[in-house]
Amino acid sequence: MPQPVKFILNWGRKYSLWVMNFGLACCAIELIATSTSKHDFMRLGVIPIAHGPRQADLMVVAGTLTDKMAPALKRVYDQMPDPKYVISFGSCSNCGGPYWDSYSVTKGVDQIVPVDVYVPGCPPRPEALLHGIIRLQEKIQQEDLQEKWSGKLTQPAVTS
Amino acid sequence: MASSPSRLSPAEIADRLRAQFGDDVQAADDVHGHAVVRVSPGRYQEMARFLRDEPDLGFDYFDFLTGVDYTPKGGGYEVVVHLYSTRNNQNVRLKVECAAEEPHCPTLSGIWPGADWHEREAAELFGIVFDGHPHLVKLLLPEQFEGHPLRKDFALMTREAKPWPGAVEGEEIEE
Repeated sequence: MPQPVKFILNWGRKYSLWVMNFGLACCAIELIATSTSKHDFMRLGVIPIAHGPRQADLMVVAGTLTDKMAPALKRVYDQMPDPKYVISFGSCSNCGGPYWDSYSVTKGVDQIVPVDVYVPGCPPRPEALLHGIIRLQEKIQQEDLQEKWSGKLTQPAVTS
Repeated sequence: MASSPSRLSPAEIADRLRAQFGDDVQAADDVHGHAVVRVSPGRYQEMARFLRDEPDLGFDYFDFLTGVDYTPKGGGYEVVVHLYSTRNNQNVRLKVECAAEEPHCPTLSGIWPGADWHEREAAELFGIVFDGHPHLVKLLLPEQFEGHPLRKDFALMTREAKPWPGAVEGEEIEE
């Protein structure tokens, strides 16, 4: 694909991220706060509450994923159309967080779905999610769709 | 908090139960204003019904039921039931001992329907079988889950790989 076309395409894609809110625990409150007027992630082109997974480009997994919930997460992810992105928001979804030795918690959603950006924190502040979204947008801007669909996983980003 | 005229103190509740059940009341204490009664399994259901139906007791609200694992200290399992009287603003806890091997306990689901799910939860987490329960299947755990995760001998795979970094439970108190 010629470079200018790729630039325009990625520029358009990165500012139109319809988000699937996969809120599972207290981190979801921070996610909701990010979507409301004070932090307002719509200014970054992120549209909260897609009508369903089939209309979403981005899934934010915010909260504690349990082994019992994991099949539902996989199912929602599979329903999303490509190109699709996942932000793992908070310690629980990154690695299990304070439930690292629990009998029921999945230690990291990256065991279930590929993650593009990890946002650490317990819970992270809304600013951290904004940072994560910007990192994701940088990633989308650099992306080569042919490469993405060739099956090679791209390197995930971590905010700090 | 204002109490109704018929409110019995924990000691009076213990006396009422001793008069009715004699030696089947194995122990009775006053813990922070709550009567805590240890009862033999044989008359546990009968005592629960007595606490609910006697007008001066009137424990009409089933608050919660849970289990305790005393097997590391050489004991068995214990079922703890918390009851509340909405009329008298009084609390009572019943404790029943179960065997360490294949623990069994009578059900309360026929007395308070709300006990049903509490007993299913205690059954899946502690492996205590509630005799007479109408539908004793897993409540919260996935169907394919094996083992009883709140038992002390349940192996946590993550802790097998990395031991608990803090003090062992209870040790910091004994110092």
